[in-house]
Amino acid sequence: MAFAFDTSVFWDTFPMLMRGLKLTIEITIGGLFFGFILGSAAGLMKLSRNFFTRKIAGVYVEAIRGTPMLVQAMFLYYGVPMALGMRIPPMTAGIIIIAVNSGAYIAEIVRGAVQSIHKGQFEAGRSIGLTNAQTMRFIIWPQALKRMIPPLGNQFIISLKDTSLLMVIGVGELMRTGQEITSVNFRAFEVYLAVACVYLVMTLSIAFVMRRIEKKLNTSRR
Amino acid sequence: MIEIKNLHKSFGNLEVIKGIDLKVESGEVVCIIGPSGSGKSTVLRCINKLEEPTTGTIIVDGHDIMASSTNINEVRAEAGMVFQQFNLFPHMTILENVTLGPIKVRKMSKSDADELGLRLLDKVGLKNKARNYPEQLSGGQKQRVAIARSLALQPKVILFDEPTSALDPELVGEVLEVMQKLAKEGMTMIVVTHEMGFAKEVADRLIFIDEGIIQEEGDPVEVFANPKNPRLKDFLGKVVSHI
Repeated sequence: MAFAFDTSVFWDTFPMLMRGLKLTIEITIGGLFFGFILGSAAGLMKLSRNFFTRKIAGVYVEAIRGTPMLVQAMFLYYGVPMALGMRIPPMTAGIIIIAVNSGAYIAEIVRGAVQSIHKGQFEAGRSIGLTNAQTMRFIIWPQALKRMIPPLGNQFIISLKDTSLLMVIGVGELMRTGQEITSVNFRAFEVYLAVACVYLVMTLSIAFVMRRIEKKLNTSRR
Repeated sequence: MIEIKNLHKSFGNLEVIKGIDLKVESGEVVCIIGPSGSGKSTVLRCINKLEEPTTGTIIVDGHDIMASSTNINEVRAEAGMVFQQFNLFPHMTILENVTLGPIKVRKMSKSDADELGLRLLDKVGLKNKARNYPEQLSGGQKQRVAIARSLALQPKVILFDEPTSALDPELVGEVLEVMQKLAKEGMTMIVVTHEMGFAKEVADRLIFIDEGIIQEEGDPVEVFANPKNPRLKDFLGKVVSHI
């Protein structure tokens, strides 16, 4: 039987894919929200004067960066419950994985951005009597944040795509939805093409939004 | 006002300050000159502890800054600093640069701080730039804003670390003018500078530092006219020959 491209598959599967997309978006936003907090904390810890604080953050970053996310997901979802004696709901596990994973990369983004701010800014803050924390909050952080925008956009796109790996722990996100559809209608070509297009639309949207933010910050002075 | 006793400072194995004693009275203007790398900026940066002294005693307005019981943030607010590279906060307007200290450190209300900030910007001739950002200003204007920023905390002393060294020659005058005005108003100032004319005219006392120690000090007019230390003679010879 010759292959025939069937556009009707798109329209038939569209509602299901959108339900999967909804989960993908929820996990991405939730994961990146906590990932940014985690990454900011770890990034600042890496700049600490305290040896142990630095080391803790360092071990976290290296351990996460150095292992595949797929393994992390399997370990958290199937491994950890055996030790804890309680199951973690797939959605929760998914958000934790994305948060912990993106946090490690965001930590490096944060560290780099903060370090790129000229030392004189810090000294000027301290010289007007601000505490260390105030100097960080009012002077260093706002400037560093602007420099983080491009690499953060990159990380957001990577994390969005990484949510597809969560299909292995049974999260009904976009990729898993696609797979489930093909197991019923056997239209792998059309379905995965549609899935790919939806991911592309999402990643292009992130890129667009980040570019807008970057532009806006640039026009309102450095 | 400020009393430094037997100050030593080393960076690793390199000893930069090798025992400096210095007393600055309230209302006094002290200019510190010396070749680059002589340690003059380091002395200044030790006074508000941007550099940690290796040994010695520094008393600022009655506070021993080496004592662990001293809140260094409070001392820093009393000892303003003006940097060679201005170090204005680029993400804030000129007015916000000036009012940040009063609001966060002095707990002043925003409206009071704005009023104070505008008054100080007026004093340095930049009231009309209040809503601009630092990058829109010339070097001389930036440094005048930096002076207003340090004044906003109503400090007891202002430390100037080569305030005109990063400026184009034609912009030096406007900054020195503001500094001269402050000196006349009785502000206590310690100025590390290469502006010999300013030192001669404005300083109450001139200090020459080389090799990490005070080689000579005295009335500037006297010191310039009749330098005793051979290093100072050599230094002045090099500086003056350029004029």
